[in-house]
Amino acid sequence: MLPPSRSLAVRAVEACGAYTLLRLARDGADAGVPGQFFMLRADPAPADAYLPRPISAAWADDDELAFLLDIRGPGTRALAAAGTVDVLGPLGRGFELAPGPALLVGGGIGAAILPWLVRILPDARVLLGFRSEAHAVCAGLVHPQATVVVEPGLVTEPLARLLPGFEGTVYACGPDAMLGAVAALAAEHGVACQLAMEAAMACGFGACHGCAVKIDGRWKRLCVEGPVVEASRAVA
Amino acid sequence: MPSLETTFCGLRLPSPFVNGSGTLDALVSGTLGVSAFVTKTVTLNPREGNPPPRIAETPAGMVNSIGLANPGLDRFCEDDLPRLAELGVPIVASVGGWSPGEYATAVARIAAHPAVVAIELNVSCPNVESGCISIGTDPRETRALVERCRAEANVPVLAKLSPSVTEIEAIATAAAEGGADGLVLINTLRGIAIDRATLRPLLGGGGGGLSGPAVKPVALHAVFHAYAATGLPIVGMGGVSSGADASEFLAAGATLVGIGTALFRDPGVVERAALELADELGRRGASGPEDLVAAAHPPTSTSSRA
Repeated sequence: MLPPSRSLAVRAVEACGAYTLLRLARDGADAGVPGQFFMLRADPAPADAYLPRPISAAWADDDELAFLLDIRGPGTRALAAAGTVDVLGPLGRGFELAPGPALLVGGGIGAAILPWLVRILPDARVLLGFRSEAHAVCAGLVHPQATVVVEPGLVTEPLARLLPGFEGTVYACGPDAMLGAVAALAAEHGVACQLAMEAAMACGFGACHGCAVKIDGRWKRLCVEGPVVEASRAVA
Repeated sequence: MPSLETTFCGLRLPSPFVNGSGTLDALVSGTLGVSAFVTKTVTLNPREGNPPPRIAETPAGMVNSIGLANPGLDRFCEDDLPRLAELGVPIVASVGGWSPGEYATAVARIAAHPAVVAIELNVSCPNVESGCISIGTDPRETRALVERCRAEANVPVLAKLSPSVTEIEAIATAAAEGGADGLVLINTLRGIAIDRATLRPLLGGGGGGLSGPAVKPVALHAVFHAYAATGLPIVGMGGVSSGADASEFLAAGATLVGIGTALFRDPGVVERAALELADELGRRGASGPEDLVAAAHPPTSTSSRA
């Protein structure tokens, strides 16, 4: 019922503006689908980073799994310095790709899961929002023609211009406030919308009940119900 | 390699390893190698649990404030128990409540299910405002609760105790006097995490419960003294993540060993710890885990009830 835990070698760690790209040798590991996530833990892990970190893949090649990291604390710092990473996954529910046009919306580190989606949906329109030019550097990984907005601009501004008459699906990942605004705009225009949400997790496989998010109006485990959730369920 | 078979409260189990209540959802992930599955604590009424954030990482562990999220007695008995019964491992049902009557109602109904081999009375959850832990910090209330629930159950009744008390011996003795067949210790220690940015409590529930390797010496101390005071069979837990940790708990007086937070970090931990323990028993020339139980106690300190 649970995917196997794998120990994968780090092939490269590359700066990408304010973020860091972690490239692992895939070694036959199941990559799942875009929007699913993996629990990553540096091996050996430092004492102040006991728990693994839930992170979705930026892309999966035949021989590589790549993750874009926002280094914020001991766990991500240890991942960026590791020679080997323990990987459990793929976990949770990813995007369910619908036929028809696609609009991809990413905010901050939420852009990290979009490169893989762009490979599958090459005609998708991509909108990205970042808090600084240094963070926006990673837009190049997502799509060369992405529309990029840097604060104080908001990614919902170009989205609001594109949604009237749009007959397709919005796939979004970013901070809660951005996801709420994207969901509200999509609902206003009657557009289908899937949100890849984020929550702190201890386990990633339903055991700890730590990743509670309001889904269908109740606190539910994001690792089991998501992390990709139909927007109407998340804002109900 | 020596067998890991162990007898606990009359139950023959293939190994001494179980999960801590609330640290494994066997219906989502499978049983991950435990010899008996301990359920998340069930209460009479459904509980959504506390608002997030619910977890905070701390040095060598974590603080959680889940708040006894559970489907409630009806749904647990109608939906979960029949599915748990199909997993092929014995079920230990953990029960919580706000009054002895609530506990007794749940115990009577759950204990009647054939897959349930024991009841754990959670009198030690730190993440609810009243009930639970306030019972488990008062010897008189603990004794009365165990007595009442013991009368409702045709299976062994275990009391899960909190380390956040002045004298664990007094609570353990009270549980024994109430008729507890065994003890489970420890639940998490009361803890709090402060958000460094806002300088406010980080967890949605305010305070929480500390677990992980950081609590192991506290847990060993509680097991050691509860065993010395009562001689009851004990499920020892708190920071266990290896066979070596398990042997320490056995030596302190535990018969079974619970793994909790380490499962979050590594779902393969139970199977690995079992191999390590078997290896260690072999090196020591022991015939099974029971050979190590209470090894840390001088021969005179154990009671005849062990």
